[in-house]
Amino acid sequence: MTPLSIALNLALSFAGLAALCLSMDRHHRAIAGRGQSRTRARGLRLAGWAVIAVSFAAAILTSDWNFGPVQWIGSLTGAALLVVALVSYRPAWIRPAALLALPLALAAVLLA
Amino acid sequence: MRPGFRQSMAWLHTWAGLVTGWVMFAVFVTGTATYYRADISLWMRPELRAGPSDPIPAAERGIAYLKTHAPKAMAWYVSVPQPDRPVIGVYWMDSLEAPLGQALLDRETGTPTRARDTQGGDFFYRFHYELQMMPTLGRWIVGGAAMILLVALISGIVTHRRIFADFFTFRRDKSAQRGWLDAHNVTGVLALPFHLMITYTGIVTLGLMYMPWGVTAAYKGDDLRFFVESAQSTTWRPAAGRPAEALPLAPLLARAQGEVSEPLEMVIVNNPRDAGATVVAVFEEPHGLAHQHPQIAFDAVSGAVVERVGTMKPAAHVFTSFMGLHEAQFASPVLRALFFLCGLMGAATIATGLVLWSVARMPKAGEAPRFGLRLVRGLNIGTILGLPIGMAAFFLANRLLPVDLAHRATWEGGVFFGAWALAALVPLARPHRRAWVEMGLSAGLLFGAVPIVGALTTDRGFDFLAFDAAMLGLGLVLALGARAVSLYEGRRAAARAARPAGGLAPKGLVKA
Repeated sequence: MTPLSIALNLALSFAGLAALCLSMDRHHRAIAGRGQSRTRARGLRLAGWAVIAVSFAAAILTSDWNFGPVQWIGSLTGAALLVVALVSYRPAWIRPAALLALPLALAAVLLA
Repeated sequence: MRPGFRQSMAWLHTWAGLVTGWVMFAVFVTGTATYYRADISLWMRPELRAGPSDPIPAAERGIAYLKTHAPKAMAWYVSVPQPDRPVIGVYWMDSLEAPLGQALLDRETGTPTRARDTQGGDFFYRFHYELQMMPTLGRWIVGGAAMILLVALISGIVTHRRIFADFFTFRRDKSAQRGWLDAHNVTGVLALPFHLMITYTGIVTLGLMYMPWGVTAAYKGDDLRFFVESAQSTTWRPAAGRPAEALPLAPLLARAQGEVSEPLEMVIVNNPRDAGATVVAVFEEPHGLAHQHPQIAFDAVSGAVVERVGTMKPAAHVFTSFMGLHEAQFASPVLRALFFLCGLMGAATIATGLVLWSVARMPKAGEAPRFGLRLVRGLNIGTILGLPIGMAAFFLANRLLPVDLAHRATWEGGVFFGAWALAALVPLARPHRRAWVEMGLSAGLLFGAVPIVGALTTDRGFDFLAFDAAMLGLGLVLALGARAVSLYEGRRAAARAARPAGGLAPKGLVKA
């Protein structure tokens, strides 16, 4: 339950949830100003769930079955609140922030 | 025609949420503050310095104090200093009925501490589950409200048709009612696992008080044996009735510490000075979800180990894990911050739900609000802003009341309730929206004043940076909220002026 393992969960949760958010037409329109193809939406949705699954695996690996689930769910809540705040107040920031979260997650893995 | 299932659930959600909302808002806010109970206590006793200390000599000092000050007690308890609680706490039980006697001792000298008399973070902790009332009554009220809140949570999930479709949706540019509903949904849904967990485990923590019949039936009145068998306490040995000299404490504690890797937390002496006396060494909970303290009991006269408490059966393990999850004492600083955030989101879910109730029943232009609406509005502002005002006043009182004032801790509590009552009554005499702006601004200013007053009245300088930052952050959020209401009110007034015919339907009347 080190700060780095929670940072990893937060970064992955944020990237995954941002992808899920972007896969939804209403939010995609608000963020990008236009609609998207069905294939792209499905791709984003798949990627989002995949990253969230990776986050779960990371939580279990770093904090075992005792704390891992708690940490995973807590990170999802915190990251989701950030996604909602960005979509509502700074929609343009969400894509760069999500793309930035992935290298941050990688850095947390390398530092741990 | 009978209403459909979802409508029934919507009705249930509305009313279950409304009747418990005010109490549960206060429970959520004080409970969330309790995640930082130790930090609040440290701030409120600025005379103490945090830091490590040697537990066994501290325990001896505590027992020495009790020998002279509570020689006739039937049990002594000494909590040894922790890094975040740098005092020796001594407690004694004169009889099963009387409240525990207590004193806080300096960890170095073993004499009563010179730190100011305050309940510290324990004030919010006790409020969280007893509302600072008579304990039994307070626990029943909190427990009853929590059970109804659980009903409101479940019926809310059923009512909310678009959990996934609206997962990220917060429309603040639409109608007022739409915005409040979205805020209610977002804070409710995003932290839903927390809300369900915290409400359920909270009820379970005091569950034996609400439903004691299982234990009564199984143990036939010998309830103490239940606590022994569920690994919560050691067996109570009755007094022998003749005095005997106890062995020195330190070697016993050292032997106990040799068996357990966790640090010593508390020493209990049952029937002190009696031939049947026991010494119980209680250790901190091992790292894990479960809230469970290893304990070793010695015969105080012979020094033989009487009992070891540590391994739990599955049911006890589940119960202590629920308590552990609720209290989150296992959480590292970042995870604790996430628990804190979730607690705030719980409070926000309740607050937005309460406001939504009144916004959805806003009177049409020209109509006077009815009594029910006026009552709910008054209670809303009195709770949602009154409680934070009380809390900020409580912190300020800790610094501003004279240090040697008699019954100082009681006075601090009095300031908390006095400020809260004042903040709840003043809005009744003010126009409703103006009252939100004024009270929000007052709350923001009071929280902003806490670090300034704190720094001016102590010599601790920047020792409480995190606490001060939290106070400033809370003050800023409250002040920004007041500003947002004020701007919204300004736009409404401008719109009204532009269309004086009064035909402007309030934007809040869109169907939810």
